[in-house]
Amino acid sequence: MKIHRAMAGVVVLTMIVLIASGGLVVAKDKYIVASDIPWAPFEMVTVNGEFFGFDLDAIRMIAIVAGFEVEILNTGFDVIIQNVITGKADLGVSGFTITAEREKTIDYSEPYYLSNQAVVIRKDSGLNIITAMAGLGPRKAIGAQNGTTGFYYVEDELKGAGLDIEPKGYEFYPTAILDLVSGRLDAVIQDEPASQSSISAYPDLLTIAGIINTYEYFGFIVAPGDPEGLLPRINEGVSELGLKVVEAPGGAKTLVVTPGSPWDNLLKAYFGPPNDKLEAAWLVCKDLLLVDRDVDAFAKAMAEEASK
Amino acid sequence: MVFDLAWLPQLTQGLLLTLQITTACIAMGIVLGILLALGRVYGNRLISTPCSIYIQIFRGTPLLVQLLMVYYGLPSWGIYPSAFISGVLALGLNTGAYQAEYLRGAIQAVNQGQLMAARAIGMSLPQAIRYIVLPQAFRIVIPSWSNELILMVKYSSIVFSVTLLDLMGVGKRIAARNFRYFEVFVVVALFYLVLVFIISQLLRLLEHRARIPGLGEHAEQR
Repeated sequence: MKIHRAMAGVVVLTMIVLIASGGLVVAKDKYIVASDIPWAPFEMVTVNGEFFGFDLDAIRMIAIVAGFEVEILNTGFDVIIQNVITGKADLGVSGFTITAEREKTIDYSEPYYLSNQAVVIRKDSGLNIITAMAGLGPRKAIGAQNGTTGFYYVEDELKGAGLDIEPKGYEFYPTAILDLVSGRLDAVIQDEPASQSSISAYPDLLTIAGIINTYEYFGFIVAPGDPEGLLPRINEGVSELGLKVVEAPGGAKTLVVTPGSPWDNLLKAYFGPPNDKLEAAWLVCKDLLLVDRDVDAFAKAMAEEASK
Repeated sequence: MVFDLAWLPQLTQGLLLTLQITTACIAMGIVLGILLALGRVYGNRLISTPCSIYIQIFRGTPLLVQLLMVYYGLPSWGIYPSAFISGVLALGLNTGAYQAEYLRGAIQAVNQGQLMAARAIGMSLPQAIRYIVLPQAFRIVIPSWSNELILMVKYSSIVFSVTLLDLMGVGKRIAARNFRYFEVFVVVALFYLVLVFIISQLLRLLEHRARIPGLGEHAEQR
């Protein structure tokens, strides 16, 4: 009797383990999205602490058309890749440039945005894009966010080329801008849309000295080998929302947006208007996205509200 | 696990900055700590109350908050301390409060009768403090003060958050490039461990040399 009972126990235990591990293999219905917030207009936060922005709304829309749920986790930019590799997050959505170096450790979706690096300076500094990058300002210090391609541009292409400059790395992009305003830096390098957004916060003090055409494609990132099979669902979702990636002969990729599509409207909504208008528009439209889960209506309403 | 010798020169640079910051903030903390401790023990209410309030505030708020207030907060008052100055200032103001409390305990541990005896032979109160109380208090405070020194070596790692490339800052920068977070931080941790070991051995030597005969270590054996 006793042996039978023990055997029954083993069988039940085995079944529990099997069911539990089976649950791990079946696709999760909720994925953790790691993002570095704020980085306007891609990643933003309302006064009530709700996350929005181009990236975050895009991934929510993709999740709706692809049939999964997302939960957003705010972390520092330079640890997002590590969080995705170790499984603390399932997706990295934070304006990630696709680079060969990063592709060695993680996998990317198809590109969804094309960006270049902007050089932000103080209006009264008397510098231009060349003198600022050459370290001819009083501080010889150029700031960028830790772990970003902008920072590596300063370290590899400027410092690495023998220029007498001091690259300064910041945990958060807004604090680099703060140090530029307070005069501790001569210039800050960052992606163009984020730079435009910081200019709109200090229109009298800051200006964009110029753009460095680095032709960087942004992609969503997952753990190496895409263990959860997210990439095909994301790529299909993006294409369903109206963004097609066309590969030209020679490997160059062009991003083609279908006019009037949700993706088109989301681009129109987020790139142009100042941050306070974006926040007001999002607060008006958010229920269409979060409650009604109607991507068409949300993107259309955002584009209209933001341009008011 | 992949380690790379190319990390070492950069980490050594970081170690030098960690040493500079720790030394500077400890020195600042000693001066501040002595003034605050004397103020608390011997000052009248007008002096001792501000000293107590200072100690309460700096012990009661996180060091990181203090550092960010100095570095990012002071510019809005028209003061622009460099990252290095901010780091030393924040850490020094903070450790000053802790050192004051350790020293206060040590001062109070010196037998009150000695102070009275000093006054009885005609010393003024400042003279009695200067020649009788403080020399003994300094020797009594060494063990707890060693603790504070070792803590500051490690607490100095927060200065990476104001763009400084100390040991921690260099480690973060290397790891963000090669994604070998575990390996890089193991090496960073070893650097701290060796540094703390050396410092604690030196302090043990100092403690042994400066001990008051008949007090503290070996006292029972006599």
